[in-house]
Amino acid sequence: MGLIDRRMGIFLAGLFVLTVAIPYGNLAMSGQPVPSYVVSLLGKYLCYALLAVALDLVWGYCGILSLGHGAFFALGGYAMGMHLMREIGDRGVYANPDLPDFMVFLNYEALPWYWHGFDMFWFACIMVLAVPGLLAFVFGWFAFRSRVTGVYLSIITQAMTYALMLAFFRNEMGFGGNNGLTDFKDVLGFDLQSDVTRAWLFGLSGLALAAGLLIAKAITDSKLGKVLIAVRDAESRTRFLGYRVEEYKLFVFVVSAMMAGVAGALYVPQVGIINPGEFSPANSIEIVIWVALGGRGTLVGAALGAILVAGAKTLLTGWLPEVWLFALGALFVLVTIFLPKGVLGLIEGRQKGQSASRERAAARADGVDLEVRPEELRGEEVKS
Amino acid sequence: MHFLLRLLGRVLGLCVLLIAPFMVQAQSFDDLVRALPEGKFDDRAKVIAQIAQTGDDRAADTLTALLEGNLHVLKADDSLVVISKRGTQTIAADALSGEDRGVVKKRGSKKIRVNNALRRELRAAIGRLTLAHPDPVRRLAAAEAAFKAADPSQIALLHSVLETEENKKIRGALTEAVAASQLADAEATTADKLDAISVLRKRGDQEALTLLSPLVQSDDPALAEAAEEAVVKIEQSKRLWGLAQNVWFGMSLGSVLLLAAIGLAITFGVMGVINMAHGELVMLGAYTTFAVQEAIRGAFPELFDWSLLIAAPLAFLVAGGVGVAIERGCVRYLYGRPLETLLATWGISLILQQTVRSIFGPNNREVGNPSWMSGAFELGQMTITYNRLWILLFALAVFFVLLFVLKKTPIGLQMRAVTQNRQMAADMGIRTGWVDAMTFGLGAGIAGLAGVALSQIDNVSPNLGQSYIVDSFMVVVFGGAGSIWGTLAAAFSLGIANKFMEPWTGAVLAKILVLVFIILFIQKRPRGLFAVRGRAVDQ
Amino acid sequence: MSIQLALDGVSRSFDGFKAINELSLTVEKGELRAVIGPNGAGKTTMMDIITGKTRPDTGSVMWNQTIDLTEQDEAGAARLGIGRKFQKPTVFETQSVEDNIALSLAGERSVWASLFHRRSPAEATRITEILELVRLEDQRSDQAGDLSHGQKQWLEIGMLLAQDPELLLVDEPAAGMTDAETMRTADLLRDIAGKHTVIVVEHDMEFVRALDCRVTVLHQGHVLAEGSLDHVSANPEVVEVYLGR
Repeated sequence: MGLIDRRMGIFLAGLFVLTVAIPYGNLAMSGQPVPSYVVSLLGKYLCYALLAVALDLVWGYCGILSLGHGAFFALGGYAMGMHLMREIGDRGVYANPDLPDFMVFLNYEALPWYWHGFDMFWFACIMVLAVPGLLAFVFGWFAFRSRVTGVYLSIITQAMTYALMLAFFRNEMGFGGNNGLTDFKDVLGFDLQSDVTRAWLFGLSGLALAAGLLIAKAITDSKLGKVLIAVRDAESRTRFLGYRVEEYKLFVFVVSAMMAGVAGALYVPQVGIINPGEFSPANSIEIVIWVALGGRGTLVGAALGAILVAGAKTLLTGWLPEVWLFALGALFVLVTIFLPKGVLGLIEGRQKGQSASRERAAARADGVDLEVRPEELRGEEVKS
Repeated sequence: MHFLLRLLGRVLGLCVLLIAPFMVQAQSFDDLVRALPEGKFDDRAKVIAQIAQTGDDRAADTLTALLEGNLHVLKADDSLVVISKRGTQTIAADALSGEDRGVVKKRGSKKIRVNNALRRELRAAIGRLTLAHPDPVRRLAAAEAAFKAADPSQIALLHSVLETEENKKIRGALTEAVAASQLADAEATTADKLDAISVLRKRGDQEALTLLSPLVQSDDPALAEAAEEAVVKIEQSKRLWGLAQNVWFGMSLGSVLLLAAIGLAITFGVMGVINMAHGELVMLGAYTTFAVQEAIRGAFPELFDWSLLIAAPLAFLVAGGVGVAIERGCVRYLYGRPLETLLATWGISLILQQTVRSIFGPNNREVGNPSWMSGAFELGQMTITYNRLWILLFALAVFFVLLFVLKKTPIGLQMRAVTQNRQMAADMGIRTGWVDAMTFGLGAGIAGLAGVALSQIDNVSPNLGQSYIVDSFMVVVFGGAGSIWGTLAAAFSLGIANKFMEPWTGAVLAKILVLVFIILFIQKRPRGLFAVRGRAVDQ
Repeated sequence: MSIQLALDGVSRSFDGFKAINELSLTVEKGELRAVIGPNGAGKTTMMDIITGKTRPDTGSVMWNQTIDLTEQDEAGAARLGIGRKFQKPTVFETQSVEDNIALSLAGERSVWASLFHRRSPAEATRITEILELVRLEDQRSDQAGDLSHGQKQWLEIGMLLAQDPELLLVDEPAAGMTDAETMRTADLLRDIAGKHTVIVVEHDMEFVRALDCRVTVLHQGHVLAEGSLDHVSANPEVVEVYLGR
C-alpha cells in the first residue's frame, strides 16, 4: 500500500474517473453533455484543491496557519500569465511584437528586466516554482528563525499578502496594475479557447492534484512528517530533542508555496486572467476554510473541502448572490465550533466508532490547537 | 401693547434712516453708469471717477466688468448688461439690477471700449473702492490683491488707505502690499527697499520668497545682502513649518490608526482573542452615525450639528452589543484556540458585511460633517482642518478614558484579573464569563466609537472594516500586544513615519514599506515595541 | 574524573529580577547530582541556560571544558548530548508511544536525513528495549495523549534514554508517581548515572534521599550549600530558607 491508503485510494480513483469522463463528455459524446464552460470550471476547482493540499501540508501537519497562501498562488499565476502575455506577440491591440498591450498603453519604452526570459515556456515553468519558493524561503527564514509562531505568524503572513496586493495594484510594478494580465491567446501554440486545449488543461490539473497529494503524503508519512507533527504539538520539546525546528518549518513552507505556485499557474490559463485581487487577504482566508471544512491534516479532506466550497460558491453566487457571504460566514463559524476535525474526520470518526473519551483526549492535547486523527498515524507505524 | 407699538415705530424709523442715503446714491450711481457708453474716452474717465466716488456697493463690480470688457450695450434696447460665458453661450445680466436677460446672440451687443489710460484709471479706482469697502473681508482681499499685483503706481493709494485703516490684520496686509510694490519700484530708495525686505522677511512665505529671490542678484550690495539673509531665513522657517505640517499629517493618520486599533488592543491585546470582525464593528459604528443623521435630517434638521454626539453613545451600544453577542455566541467556545477564533470571527465579519449590504445597499453612504467639523484654520504656515483636529482629540480622549477604565475601575481590575489568572479569579468569586463578555463588549464598543469618527473622513460602505483590519492588527502587534501605551506609541509612530515617507515614495509605496518594516520588526522583536517580558511570557 | 559541565559566575535577570545571580556549579562526568531549592530559587532558569533556551547576561557555561554552551540553541545543546525532561511531562500527545521513542532515538537530525529515513533493525530493537525498560511495551501503539500521568512521566524518561545523552537534566521526575514508582525512578536514575551524567531537580526529600548523591541547594539564584543530604540539612542557613519553612 505505502502511500495510497484507503482514503487516498478512493479519492485518486474518483479523480481519475473525473479527469477521463469530463473531457470525454465534452469532446467525444454526441450532444455534448458536458458544456465547455464546465470543463474550465471544474479545472479551476482542481487548482483550488491543489492549493488546499498545499495549505494543509503546513497548517494541518506543522501548525503554521498561513494567511498568505493566496500570495504564492497568485505569484505562480503571474509567472504563467507573463508567459501567456509574451505568447500573444504582435496579435495584441497595439500589435507591438515586444511589449504587451498594457505596457504600450502605459508608455513603456522597453520590456522591464524581470520580464525577460518569460517568452520561453520552460523558463516560465521554473519561475512558477522559483518565485513562490524564494518568497517563502526568505519570509520563512526570517520568521521561523526568530520563532514567530501562532497568530503572530498568521498576522504577518496576512500583512505580506496585503503588501503584495498593494504593490501589484501599482502600474509602476509592470504587471498591468488593476487589470492584471489578460487577453491570453494560446499556450505552446494551442488556442486557449479551443475545447481540446481546455480538456488538456483540465487533465493536467487533475494530474497535478494527484501528484501534489502523493508528494504531500510521502512527506507526511516519512519521519520528517512525524517531526512536523511533533513541532505542531510541542515545538519546544522537539527542539530539546535536537531537531532544528526552523529548518523543518522552512522546508515544508517552501514545498507548500511551490505547490501553491503550480496551482496558480494551472489556474490562470483556465480562467484567462490574473489580477491583484488574487492577493487579497480575504482570498487567503477562504483557502483556510476549505481545509478546515474538509479536515485538517487529512490532505484528501482539504482537496474535497476546496471542491465543495468552491462548487457551493459557484452555485450560490449564481442563484442567490445575497446569500453567499452569509453561507460562507456561517460555514467558518459552524466548522470551527462544531466540526473541528472537518467532514472527513466526522465520517471516519463515525466509521471507526471512535470513543468519545479519545476525542476528548485529542482535543485537550496541549499546543495551540490540534485536531488530528490518531488512527491514521498509528496505522502506518505498526508495520515498520 | 403700547411698548410693542413704540418698538415697531422705532424699527420702521431706523429702516428709513438706513435706506434713505442709499436711495439718493442709487439714483446718481444708476445715472452715472447709464452715462458710461456716451462720449469719448476722456468723458468716460470723468464718469469713472464719479462712479468711484459714489462708494456704491456695485461700483467695484461694474468697474471690473468694464475693465474686463464684459460691460456691453444690448443692441435691442440700448440697455447696459454684464455678459458672461456659460459653455458656448453668452449670457447677459442687467448691469444695474443684476436681473437675468437671457442669452445674447452673436453681435447682439456692443462692448464699451476702454483704452490703456482708462484701464490704469479703472484699476486705481477699483483698488480704492475695495480698499475702502465697509466689509473688512473685502478690504483684506483687496490688500492681498494689491500685494500680488506689486504695482508701484499703487503706493500712494496704499499709503493713504493705511492712514485711516484701523483693522490690525488689514494694516499688516497693506504694509506688505506697500513693501511688495516698493521692491518693484525702480525709483524707490535703498532705505525704502531695505524696509520692504524686512517686512517681507517677517511675512516669510512662498510669495515673499518669490519677491525676494531676484533681489539676491541685485547690483546694490546692501540690498543683495539683506535679501539673501531674508531668503535663507525664510527657507529655514519654511522647512520647519513643512516639518511641522508633516508631523501634523502623521499625527492625524496616527489618530485614525489609534482609533481603529484601540478596541483591538483590548480584545487582542488584553484578552488574546483574535477578532477579525473588529473592522466590521467599526463599520457598524459608521452606519449607526449614518442612520442617526438620516433620522435627524428627517425629523429634527436643526439638531444636525449634534448628530455626532448623539451617534457616539448609540454606536458604542450597537457595536458593543454585537460584540457581546459575538463573545457569548461564538468566541467563548474557542478560548485557548486562537487560530480557530481567528477563523470564526472572520466568518462573523463576512456575515456582518453582508447584513449591512442587504440593509443599506452596497454603495457608499453619505455621512455629513457638522458645521463645527468643516473648514480649516491656519497655524503659522500650517493648515489644520477642523475634522482632523477633532478626530485627534477624540482618539486621545477615547484612549485616556479606556486607560482609566482599565486601571482605576472595579470592572477594569476584574478584567485584568481574569486575563492574568482565570482560575484564581473564578475562585475569588469573579464571574469570569460575565467579565469576558464585558471586556469583549468594551473593545467592540470602542470600535463602534471609532466608526463614528472615521465616518467623517472615509467612505461609509460595507467594505469600510476590511480596509482597516490589517492596519489595526499591525498597530497592536507593533506596539506589543497587551500594552495599551504601546498601541498609542505604535499608532503615532507608524502614522508619522508613513507621512514622512510619502513625499518621496507616494502614498501606496509608503504604506507597503511600512508593512514590510513591521514584518521585519516582528522578526526582530516578536513581542513588539513595548514587550511584556519575563519568564511567564517566555514559557 | 573530568568535568562534564561547569557554570562560572552566571547571572540572568528578567525585568530587573535576578533569577540567577553569580551562579557557579561544577558537575563531573558520570556524576548523579540533586539540585534542591525553594520556589523561585532559579532551578528552572538554570536548566534553561544549560539547554540553550535562555542566554545568560554574564558568565560562562562550559561543556566538557571546551565548548561554550551559551552559544548554542536548544537543538544545538541537544545535539551535543544534553537531554532534558520537563517538570510537566511533555510528550507528543497525538503520536503513538512508539513514535515518541522513535523520534527521540539518537541519530542524524537534519531535514534531509528525516525525509529519507528508513528504520534500521538496530533501531527497532533499541525502541523495544526502551519500551520494556519503562514498561510501556503494551502501550506501544497507543496514543501518548491517552496515557496516565505516571505513564507519561515514564514515556518521557524513555525518550530521554533513547536520546542517549551524555548529560540528563531531570526536572521533578517523581511528581505524580506512586511511591513504588518513585522508588523505581530513583533506582533507574542511579543505574543510569556512571554511564551518563545526571542532574535531578527535585522537591521530594524522600526521593532525594533515595538518590543518595551529592546535593546542591540553590537560593535566590546562587549556590547556598553543597554536599551530602545530611550535610546540607545540617546547615542552618539551608534550614532557614528552605527546609524550615
